[in-house]
Amino acid sequence: MAQLQIEGLCKGWDFPVIDQMNLTVEEGEFFVVVGPSGIGKTTLLRLIAGLESPNEGRIILGGNDISRLPPYKRPVAMTFESYALYPHLSVFENIASPLRARRLPKREIEQRVMDVARLLKIDQLITRRPAEVSGGQKQRTALGRTLVADPEVFLLDEPISHLDAKIRHELRAQFHTLEALRRVANIYVTHDYAEALSLGDRIGVMGQGGLVQVGTAHEVFEKPQTLFVAEHLGQPSINILDCELSTEDGVLIACHRESSLTLPVAQAHAQQLKRGNASHVSYGIRPQYITVIADGEAVCDSLHVVDCTVSLFEPLGTYAILMAETAGATITALSSPEHRYEQGESIRLGIDTAEAFFFDAVTGKNLVL
Amino acid sequence: MRDRHYKLVATLMFVFLGLWTIISLFPYYFQFITGFKGIEEVNRITPTFWPDEFLWSNLDLVFSDETNVAALLDTLLIASANTALAVFLGSLAGYALARFPRQAGGENMAFWILSNRMFPPVAILLPMFRAFDTVLGSTDNHLSLIILYLVFNMPLATWLMMVFFRDAPRELEEAAYLDGYSPLRAFFKVTLPQVVPGMMSVALLCWIFAWNEYLFANMLVGSNVAVNTIQMPGFVQGAQKLWNLAALFSFVAVLPPVILFMVLRRYMVRGLSLGVVKG
Repeated sequence: MAQLQIEGLCKGWDFPVIDQMNLTVEEGEFFVVVGPSGIGKTTLLRLIAGLESPNEGRIILGGNDISRLPPYKRPVAMTFESYALYPHLSVFENIASPLRARRLPKREIEQRVMDVARLLKIDQLITRRPAEVSGGQKQRTALGRTLVADPEVFLLDEPISHLDAKIRHELRAQFHTLEALRRVANIYVTHDYAEALSLGDRIGVMGQGGLVQVGTAHEVFEKPQTLFVAEHLGQPSINILDCELSTEDGVLIACHRESSLTLPVAQAHAQQLKRGNASHVSYGIRPQYITVIADGEAVCDSLHVVDCTVSLFEPLGTYAILMAETAGATITALSSPEHRYEQGESIRLGIDTAEAFFFDAVTGKNLVL
Repeated sequence: MRDRHYKLVATLMFVFLGLWTIISLFPYYFQFITGFKGIEEVNRITPTFWPDEFLWSNLDLVFSDETNVAALLDTLLIASANTALAVFLGSLAGYALARFPRQAGGENMAFWILSNRMFPPVAILLPMFRAFDTVLGSTDNHLSLIILYLVFNMPLATWLMMVFFRDAPRELEEAAYLDGYSPLRAFFKVTLPQVVPGMMSVALLCWIFAWNEYLFANMLVGSNVAVNTIQMPGFVQGAQKLWNLAALFSFVAVLPPVILFMVLRRYMVRGLSLGVVKG
């Protein structure tokens, strides 16, 4: 039972992939790393597992430096994105593999494998080969192989990304309930922000060179420190407008640089922005804070109303994505799928300006945290 | 219209393949029937394509001679031992070249190993004889041929196994490391089983080479140990030229590779197409 510490970790090939990363994952914590593909999430896991050696830095598990240990001597278990099941062995033997490696007695192996198989509801399939089971069952087998090993750190590399939506949800629930995961340090890698928000005790958003922001789901979603974090979390992704701040009649407004759209700045934000002397910003507003206002509907004060033309309407079952043009700018809103909007239809959108984010146009830093 | 066209092509192909089969099988057929002819019938100017009488006693004549049986058994021993060694060593070497190319010398090393098969064997015949004679004291034993054939089979085995290992997914090995297997144990537990079909075809190629080799066998062995290729000419040397018995012996000598090939054909096709179609 141990805490995982990463200190000043560096790894790169032609260019740095992970640069001076520091991270502590507590025992029992479910830490989710989320980020775009190719950013180095898997590399991070491979470094912890020992499949890659770091250029610099230390990996400390329960007070012991394991950076120089070969992978087979580290108390670490990992599931691979491809599952990496042994095709020539049965599901039973796949799960038993870590126990066979330790040369445990036959009875104990059988007992422990069956316990795990029952837990994951694959005990009916243990005689089959990996090629003869479904994607979800393969994933459970791979998970079983790591669970049975009783490691001190769990590394999970996109474990459910390649499954269909229904099974994905089912297995996501499984990660919430598995007791075994609550006793060790877990690092879970995904590119899907919903998975991250759902599962993570803490979430680390990974960008160029390492973790850009670490925090709870609420923190990273509601208080993104940078434009990158805000853009990466949320579906459909946040509206970003390249704006110039100016004062009109003593009120701060944001003028879109590529169109004639102007948006008022909420009082709370205006003070901070003035203090910071910002002028050129990226104005961010999430689609869920933009709503369609029906004809004759009363408009509450906090909403800034703009007239728009519908350019695209995508009904997606429980919600719909509405893209609209206003004064030359395109904005994305969430709407209900019940009312279908036609292309070219004129509508009014209400923007909840109090929910806006302001990022420095050059550094990407959030200016109104 | 298209249907008729297709039928025509199919028929032509069938005829062509049929002819080809007959042409390629004819020597074996002729060998077989010659083996059971009497020597007088063999020496007739006009060949017969069906023996006047099947002389089953020819079988007895060939196999009552212990040296003929011994030759087949010696060849079997030499070919099998050599194949086992070549496949084992070739697998390890091929694995090293596939997984640790830099430490193992890289492409140059791999090519150098393969290049050992490129010179005409006869060029090293005498040096090899001298070397084996000096080191082993005598060359007329099983060991000399078992080792010597490695010169030809090791490069083949190493090179092919290297290709097969390159295609074996590396992630499985990494998963085995994380399960707690050391690299050597992971190799036997996970990697080797992935390349079994390829290994079978390599073994078959090595075995057939060793079974059929004549040049070096003729130089190195002959009295204590004889292999089938140098036993065969014995039937037609000297005063009596027993073509029928030579034919019968060689027909028997051809059987093991053919049977082996038929048994392992499934692996052979899979092995040689490994890396072409990934499943």
